Amino acid sequence: MKVYLKQMGLHLKSLLEYKASFITSFFSQIIVFFSYYFIILALFTKFDNIKGFTLYEVLLCFAVIQFGFAFNESFARGLDHFDELIIKGDFDRILLKPKNILLQVCSYEADYTKVSRLLQSLIVLVIALINLNISWTIPKIITLLLMLLSAIAVFFSIFLLAASYCFITVQGLEVRNVFTAGGKHMAQYPIGVFKKGFVYFFTFVIPYAFVNYYPLLYFLGRTNNPLCMLSPLLVFVYLIPCFIIFYKGTKRYASVGS
Amino acid sequence: MSYIEVNHITKSFKVAKKKSGLKESFKSFFKRDYKIVEAVKDISFSIEKGEIVGYIGPNGAGKSTTIKILSGILTPDSGKCKVGKHTPWQDRKEYVKKIGVVFGQRSQLWWDIPAEDTFDLLKDIYDIPEERYLKTKEELVEKLNLKDIINVPVRQLSLGQRMRCEIAASLLHEPEILFLDEPTIGLDAISKQLVRDFIKRINKEKKTTIILTTHDMSDIDALAKRIILIGKGQVLYDGSLQKLKNNYANKKYISVNTKDAINIRTKGVLKKEKTKYGYSFIIDSKQLNISEFLNIISKKVQIEDVEIDNENLDNMIVNLYEDLKI
Repeated sequence: MKVYLKQMGLHLKSLLEYKASFITSFFSQIIVFFSYYFIILALFTKFDNIKGFTLYEVLLCFAVIQFGFAFNESFARGLDHFDELIIKGDFDRILLKPKNILLQVCSYEADYTKVSRLLQSLIVLVIALINLNISWTIPKIITLLLMLLSAIAVFFSIFLLAASYCFITVQGLEVRNVFTAGGKHMAQYPIGVFKKGFVYFFTFVIPYAFVNYYPLLYFLGRTNNPLCMLSPLLVFVYLIPCFIIFYKGTKRYASVGS
Repeated sequence: MSYIEVNHITKSFKVAKKKSGLKESFKSFFKRDYKIVEAVKDISFSIEKGEIVGYIGPNGAGKSTTIKILSGILTPDSGKCKVGKHTPWQDRKEYVKKIGVVFGQRSQLWWDIPAEDTFDLLKDIYDIPEERYLKTKEELVEKLNLKDIINVPVRQLSLGQRMRCEIAASLLHEPEILFLDEPTIGLDAISKQLVRDFIKRINKEKKTTIILTTHDMSDIDALAKRIILIGKGQVLYDGSLQKLKNNYANKKYISVNTKDAINIRTKGVLKKEKTKYGYSFIIDSKQLNISEFLNIISKKVQIEDVEIDNENLDNMIVNLYEDLKI
C-alpha cells in the first residue's frame, strides 16, 4: 500500500511537469461532466418525473454513480488501461517486482484530471441532498455511505473483469465499454425506470441495481425493508469472484505469455 | 549442484495464424486457426554462481522466452528449473527480490521525473533498509558516474545516460543474478565501454551472476567467457568462447602492400583481390598457415607492409548459424 501511495505521488509529480496541460484538461473535464448534468436538467424541464422519480432524486443517483466511476478512473486508472499494459509488455515489469500485482497495476497510471469529476459529483450530491428534504436518520446515513462505497466497488469489479478479459485476448475490447461507460450512463438513472430485461441484467449480471436502486428506495423512504438498505453489501460479495478471476488470469498469463 | 539448474525445459505458444488481405482478416475475426509454436524445446544448462554467460542466438530463437522463464514471468510446459533454492515461477515475491532485470529496449524509469525518484520508489518496492539503500545508491552513482544526471527528468537524458540509470535501478536491491537483455543496444562506443566495464566490475566485486543476451558480438567478446548458443528453441553450443573461435576463426584476412604483381595458386587461398596499395587475401589457416603463406609471397615480391586480421566475431556467428542451419 505504501508503494501504491508513493506511485500515485510520483504520478502527481510527473503531472506537474506539464502544468498548463493539466489545468486545461482538468477544466475540460468540468465541461464534459456538466454536459451530462444538463441533459438530465433538460429532461426534467419537459417531464416532472421519470416513473415517479423527481429531478433531485435522479441527480442523487447520478452523483453516486459518477462518484464511483470517477473514483476508479482517478485511482485505479492502470486497471482501466490494462490492455495497454499487456500490449506494451509492461505487465512483465510488474511481475518482476516483489509486491502485490493488483495494487501495482492500479497505480501504474493515474489520471488526476478525473479528480475534478470526483469533486463535481460530490457537489451535485450536495445539491441534490439539500433539495430533497431528507429526514435524516442513522440508517439513512449508513445507506448513503454504503451507496457511495458500493458505487466504487461495482466499477472496480467491472474494471477487474475487463482486465481479466485482456488475459484471454487483447482484441475486441470495446465490449467492455458496454459495461463500463454504457453501464454508467444507464445507472445514472435509477435502474427501476428501465424495462424488465435491463433491470434483471443490471441486477444479476452486473449489480448496479444494488448500488443505485434498492438502497435509493430505502433512502428516499419509499420502502422500509431493511434488506434494501443493506443490499449494497452484495456488491462487495460480487467483488470476490472478480478478484478470483483476475488472479486466475495472472496465472494463465504466466503459462501462456504475451 | 550448480547455482542455476535448467533441466529439459519446454515451452510452446498457441499463435493465431494470420493471413494477409482484408478478406482473410475478416474471416479470422470469426474463426481463427491456431498453430503451436515451440519457443523452446528441451533446454538444459547449468550456471555457477558468479559466472558471466552470453546467451546468444538469432531473432526468434527462444532467447527471451528462456529469460522470461528464468525470471519467473512465464511457467514452462514441462521441465525443471532451480535457481538457488527457488523455482522461479513459484513463490514469485521471494524470488524476484534476488534478481535484477534490464531490458535494453524497455525502460523501468519514470519518464517525466528524475531517475532518483524512481530509485526512491524502488527502495520501497524492494523494502531496502534506508542505510543500505543510501550506501548502494552512492556506490552506483559513483561507479556509473551518475552524479550529474540523476536529478534530471529522464526524458531529457541521452540513451547512454538513461541506460546507465537503468542499470543502476536494477541493482539497487543488490540482486544475486542480473539479467541483461541487450544492454548496449543503440549506445555509442564510449557508453558501451562504460557499461561493459561496469558489468565486469560488479561481477568481480559482488560475485553477481550475469546472464547477458545480445546481438552485439563485441559485448560477448568483452564480457563473457562462456556462451550458450540457442537456435530454433534448442541449445546448439554451450562452452567457452575461445573454443568456438578456434573452430571458426580459421579464416585470416591478410592485406599485403606491394608494387609488384602477385600470382599465387596455393591451396588454402580462398580469395585474392587487387587493392589500391597491393592485394588482400583471405586464407584458410587450417590448410595453409600464415608463415607458409608469407614465405611463398615474400620469395616472389617485395613486401612493403603486411596486415593480418582475424575473422571478426560477427562473421563467425553468421558462419556458425549457416553451418547449424538456423
